[in-house]
Amino acid sequence: MSPYLIVGCLVLAGVFFSIDISIPLGVAGGVPYVAVILASLWGADRNTVIYIALLCSLLTVVGYYISPEGGELWKVLANRFLALFAIWVTAVLGLALKRAEIKIRGLNEDLQRHAQELETANKELESFSYSVSHDLRTPLRAIDGFSRILVDEYSEELDDEAKRLLNIVRKNTRKMGQLIKDVLAFSRMGRKEVSISKVDMEQLVNEVFTGLKEAGHGRTVEVEIKALPKTTGDRAMLHMVIENLLGNAIKFAGTRKDARIEVGGSVEGTENVYYLKDNGVGFDMEYVHKLFGVFNRLHGEEFEGTGIGLAIVQRIIIKHGGRVWAEGKTNEGATFYFTLPA
Amino acid sequence: VEINGELEILLVEDNTSDAELCLRALKKHNLANKLFWVKDGAEALDYIFATGAYAERNIKNTPNVILLDLRLPKVDGLDVLKRLKSDERTKLIPVVILTSSTEDIDTVKSYKFGANSFVSKPVQFEEFAKVVAEMGMYWLLLNKSPS
Repeated sequence: MSPYLIVGCLVLAGVFFSIDISIPLGVAGGVPYVAVILASLWGADRNTVIYIALLCSLLTVVGYYISPEGGELWKVLANRFLALFAIWVTAVLGLALKRAEIKIRGLNEDLQRHAQELETANKELESFSYSVSHDLRTPLRAIDGFSRILVDEYSEELDDEAKRLLNIVRKNTRKMGQLIKDVLAFSRMGRKEVSISKVDMEQLVNEVFTGLKEAGHGRTVEVEIKALPKTTGDRAMLHMVIENLLGNAIKFAGTRKDARIEVGGSVEGTENVYYLKDNGVGFDMEYVHKLFGVFNRLHGEEFEGTGIGLAIVQRIIIKHGGRVWAEGKTNEGATFYFTLPA
Repeated sequence: VEINGELEILLVEDNTSDAELCLRALKKHNLANKLFWVKDGAEALDYIFATGAYAERNIKNTPNVILLDLRLPKVDGLDVLKRLKSDERTKLIPVVILTSSTEDIDTVKSYKFGANSFVSKPVQFEEFAKVVAEMGMYWLLLNKSPS
């Protein structure tokens, strides 16, 4: 609180007082004291504002009392009723507004601090994923490389069991390499901005399916792609969603002789709901909450995978403002649903 | 394979295992005959500009290609790159960034500072060996540098 402001208010009050007692009928009935209160609100604390309001009340009453029009006290108070009313309404309302403003300012500062903290955390995460990409891969390459050199160059000295063991080492380094790659893909997805365009989902699904077939997946699976509503979204990201979901369906249904996958969708109000249904190994609904977690897997080594695919799917759909969920039954298949803007 | 000149490849790599794997991959294709290996950015600069421990070296004898890792002790890979590309004497030496990083930001920065190529080291040895060999073939045999 500035002492200049208080001195200024007192000077202003003094000026109004002198005018009040020197000219007949005072200054507009003493209401200009309101200006003093308003000025005091601009920085002074609550008590100072109240003291200044008291002083102004006193001045307007005394000023009129000693002016030629004054007279008995009750007449003075009756005459000055509006001035007093204006002074106190200004003081009380002003203080209330000020309290609200201080509260908002506090909230704003909190928000700003939180945003700052988030930004720092995000930066840390970024440098963390950078380290993962660089520092974790280097020793892995050495393990894989040198065990490979052992197999290649010392094959005569190594018996079959030794070779088998070395191959286990290599198989696991490959797996670790894949894990690192997937974690990086997941963290990159978090940083990526969605670039919106019109997306023909039917064409996209067909394209993904063709790609998977060319890579040797799902040739024995019967895939039925129904008419799908168009949407708006990031084409590359949605490609990844379909690739993951369709890839999963093929993986988990592919072991059956009569493997069947159905892709469909419909417009439901302001959103499109799409689904991918398979008759594969399915899953127990008891573990449905684990489905979309990073590295969470519901199936063992008989199915390849690092457990990151559905986490990426969820991240992309949420970025598009949609929802994703699944229904399934052990050995009877699974259905994955997701929504996108219509 | 007949190679002209004194020095062909300068490998700047702090990790001994990576350096050995790289050497083996090049050796398989007879590309490692004239390779010199330095372990950090400061040593790389000393070597190229014939200063410090390499003051005796003839500065005119530049490598045909420099394989440069990004994360290096003392002087960072990108700083080495900047020094090389801003000096008239070394500006024309092809620099291939050879790094574990797969981050876009590293690629962008490297090219911005004048790298001639950016190669991300694969984790698996077969792929790594293939990448290194192809790179060696390209920069030593196919690519025509100004003389």
